[in-house]
Amino acid sequence: MQQFLTTTLTGLTLGMVYAAFALALVLIWRSTRIVNFAQAPMAMLTTYVALTLINAGYSYWVGFAAALLSGLLLGAVVERVAIRPVEGKAHINAVILTLGLFIVFHSLGAIIFGSNFRSFPAPFGLRGLQVGGTNIALTGFGIFTIVSVLVVMLLLVALFRYTDLGLMMRASAFNQEVARLLGVRVGRMLTLGWALAAMVGSLSGLLIAGGSLVHPAYMDSVVVFGFVAAVLGGLDSPVGSVVGGLLLGVSLSFVSGYLGSDVVALAALMILMAVLLVRPGGLFSHAAARRV
Amino acid sequence: MLEVRDLTTTYGAVRALSEVTFTATPGKVTAVLGANGAGKTTLLRTISGLVRPRAGEVLLDGEAITHAPVESMCRRGVAHVPEGRGVITELTVEENLRLGALGRAQGSEPLDLDRVYTMFPPVADRRRAHAHVLSGGERQMLVIGRALLARPKVLLLDEPSLGLAPRVVAQIFALLRRLVESEGLTVVLVEQNARGALSIADTGVVLNLGRLVVSEKASTLAADEQLRHAYLGF
Repeated sequence: MQQFLTTTLTGLTLGMVYAAFALALVLIWRSTRIVNFAQAPMAMLTTYVALTLINAGYSYWVGFAAALLSGLLLGAVVERVAIRPVEGKAHINAVILTLGLFIVFHSLGAIIFGSNFRSFPAPFGLRGLQVGGTNIALTGFGIFTIVSVLVVMLLLVALFRYTDLGLMMRASAFNQEVARLLGVRVGRMLTLGWALAAMVGSLSGLLIAGGSLVHPAYMDSVVVFGFVAAVLGGLDSPVGSVVGGLLLGVSLSFVSGYLGSDVVALAALMILMAVLLVRPGGLFSHAAARRV
Repeated sequence: MLEVRDLTTTYGAVRALSEVTFTATPGKVTAVLGANGAGKTTLLRTISGLVRPRAGEVLLDGEAITHAPVESMCRRGVAHVPEGRGVITELTVEENLRLGALGRAQGSEPLDLDRVYTMFPPVADRRRAHAHVLSGGERQMLVIGRALLARPKVLLLDEPSLGLAPRVVAQIFALLRRLVESEGLTVVLVEQNARGALSIADTGVVLNLGRLVVSEKASTLAADEQLRHAYLGF
């Protein structure tokens, strides 16, 4: 029972981080039909921005805010400078471009910040909470992780569903030509979409780094899990990506807790295969609705 | 008033429009007719800026808008409903309409969504539904309603009859005529269905292989048997 509870809670915390990363991928896929392979090193760079500030004596929260802001900025710059020329061209161009950016950002990180392991602080305790004399696996930082991803997700849902800006962003994502004819500045909406996505990616970078070690490749393994979570959710649905992330986090936590941690990556890919065999569009796809 | 002067548009080596000149009279319906590939859709797309012309000018109330950004057209008072209806099917009916109101022409009075719902009862019944559940006729009503919410001076309509049953086409055309009379809209109506379009148009222009070959009163055009046989197929 104790182990079951521990495994579930660890899985939920981990799943929330995958969810945040998946959400970043989905936001970009929805608006530009591009899978942003460079998301991981982008988040790595912004986490290093936070670390630099924290090591210079600023508080954790100053670093946290700076990382999110620099994520916003980096996303916007990447879209305007690198992605804009390949938008609307063959998909393979964008794939190769984001893979190229992956390598460029990776090297930039190593050149600017060095490639050794450095420890990253956490704002809350990393020890399990005590409930009725027993330790449970939920840490203060774990709670912070879950709450912050939930808050970001709810803010995004509110933005897309209830504001004019969100409506214009969705219109741009679904039908660029009609959106332009209705006066929506589609280019700006795409830049904003990339900026928001990169910010959510930065959040996932901070949450993975918290209380752990960072180095230029520390986000790379998350790419696989984040991508699997996004595909589980159908790549098109923000809510789907969060549910996909949680499902994946909990399943992988059970695999690692009961079968051993060396089969986790294998299990993630097997889950992906199983879902794609049964529901090729992902668990939350509306493929039929889109084709009309 | 919308004027098109010597408009030439090319796709690579192909001339889609050659020196087309016409004026859409304010408060009237101008039907643009012609066979497939005559350049009708290209004409509308060049006016709204989706395609840039090789030469020539588009003037709105005397001001050149030939190179104005597409995104600025609806705020200038030009609404373009593209071929295939232009409903954003992933959004709800109400969201489609809200989007139309966001691009309202500068200096115009806002139009209440409820007025559009009163004009189009079938659309009102489905306001919370996703637009992909609408029938073809309902979609046409939705895009016309959405265009009206932008309070345009000029409405560019590309083949509203496409794929609709004859009875629905008649309904849409009658509705369009009523709107022109009540709202004082200027309409440029591109149609394959020449007979239907001429029945509600004031003026008709005929394109043939990218050239404007006839510009006549609609009634004259409909009565001229030779012209009809040569270009309009009825």
